[in-house]
Amino acid sequence: MNLPPFVLHQPLTIDEAVATFAQHPGEADWLAGGTDLLPNYKWRLNAKPHVISLHRVEGLRDLTPTHIGAMVTLRELEGSAELQARLPVIPATARQVASVLLRASGTLGGNLMLENRCFYFNQSEHWRRSWEPCMKAEGDRCHVVPQQELCYATFSSDMAGTLCALDATAQLLGPQAGREVPLQELYLFDGIRRHARTPGELLIGVRLPECAPTWRTGYRKLRLRGSWDFPELGVAISIQIVDGALSRLRIVLNALEQAPRSLDSVTKPYVGGPLSDQAIEELAAASFERARPYRNTSFPPHYRRKMVPVFVRDLLRHLRDS
Amino acid sequence: MPQSQPSFPLRLNINGDEHALLIRPYATLLDVLRDQLHLTGTKRGCDLGTCGCCTVQVEGVAVLSCLTLAAQVAGRQVTTIEGMANGDGLHPVQEAFASCGGSQCGFCTPGFIMAVSAFLESCPDPTDEQVHEALGGNLCRCTGYIKIYEAVHQAAKVLREGGVRQPLDVDHRHLIGELPPATRTDPRTHDLARLQQLHPEGKG
Repeated sequence: MNLPPFVLHQPLTIDEAVATFAQHPGEADWLAGGTDLLPNYKWRLNAKPHVISLHRVEGLRDLTPTHIGAMVTLRELEGSAELQARLPVIPATARQVASVLLRASGTLGGNLMLENRCFYFNQSEHWRRSWEPCMKAEGDRCHVVPQQELCYATFSSDMAGTLCALDATAQLLGPQAGREVPLQELYLFDGIRRHARTPGELLIGVRLPECAPTWRTGYRKLRLRGSWDFPELGVAISIQIVDGALSRLRIVLNALEQAPRSLDSVTKPYVGGPLSDQAIEELAAASFERARPYRNTSFPPHYRRKMVPVFVRDLLRHLRDS
Repeated sequence: MPQSQPSFPLRLNINGDEHALLIRPYATLLDVLRDQLHLTGTKRGCDLGTCGCCTVQVEGVAVLSCLTLAAQVAGRQVTTIEGMANGDGLHPVQEAFASCGGSQCGFCTPGFIMAVSAFLESCPDPTDEQVHEALGGNLCRCTGYIKIYEAVHQAAKVLREGGVRQPLDVDHRHLIGELPPATRTDPRTHDLARLQQLHPEGKG
């Protein structure tokens, strides 16, 4: 399976990379680890004529508990002693992404910007052309929720769930200026547009709150094969308990919809109170009500939805008692 | 489609040898290894990063050559399965796979050898769980994995004891003979003839 022809750009600085992208509006893709982009290119899924490799770009590989560069590999995240000591949820989440081999190349930035996935999209060109292609590929109709307005491809990044629960901030640099935006707000519930990025903006890293190590944070992943697979459901929860009362509670459901969903309206009434067994049961039930999986991955949506309260209950108890 | 970008010169260090090549910008490392350097020990399996057959080492780290652009490894040390043996002496991981029966049809074996040898460098005395995790990205449809896990532990033991290489109990090399001559010699119409033309080194 050959890659389609493209022009390869290998800039050395962030500014050069952004400027190169700006010269090819709508016709370029960023290449980080390549573990998501290149398989899609081999399947001729929205391949662009210009590819801008970030491998030689300086300044994208910082790794501290408060700042992680976009080109830090998932293997480096899982092996970081500093993160293991201060934010062990990040290595633990990275360890659940794909396989050892894919994590050696796959990067944090690539995982956060992962292409949304769908049963009707991630197929060979021959398969797609055997019937009407979907709107995310060459067609104009969604087959998951049949209509022509919105793509329902699922966002399957493990790291996004955990980093949203940690209130991470995305650092973006565009041709005009740089900006920081809460990671949660970067994602759109649209499987084609996917991000609230302006054209040509590059994710250069994420910033984590100084106080994040004082929180108890965990991640649970449902997948077909334990050795490696995209998530069928991800639940990330971050809590802080002060004097027996919750001073912070964030629950993020991931890999059910087009973007991670933070259940702030569900959790808000519980902040300030104790995390009792009854509160945990109520939160699990409310999370089930809020979960909206679609029929476009390996497991049926009713099963993925039923696993939401199981994971929420298990993780809340684990974090409370740890 | 894009304007065609011409092939460009690239120096690759493969198994300690410097190669000056002209490569297409969108060529993967696997494309270059197999089609330009004729290092066909690295296998093309799924070509999508799923099976691990194409595993090589870049600076000692096991990576998937099907998802690595050749241009990205310029100036870096690449090791393939052809670079593992030392003359007639096999690498301890190769010895262990042969003596434990960790290889049957053999298609996945080069990928396993490269993944295992990189893994044992960082984890010389692994637990079963660590071995399972480390090999999660390599698929084998023949062995059922048990013999492979035994081979990993045997190789780890040999390497911990200084990498003393034991000769194979059974020499299978006599089984490898010349490829049969192609009865039809037109490479446009006959697969074997075309393969022999592409890979003249493919003999016993």
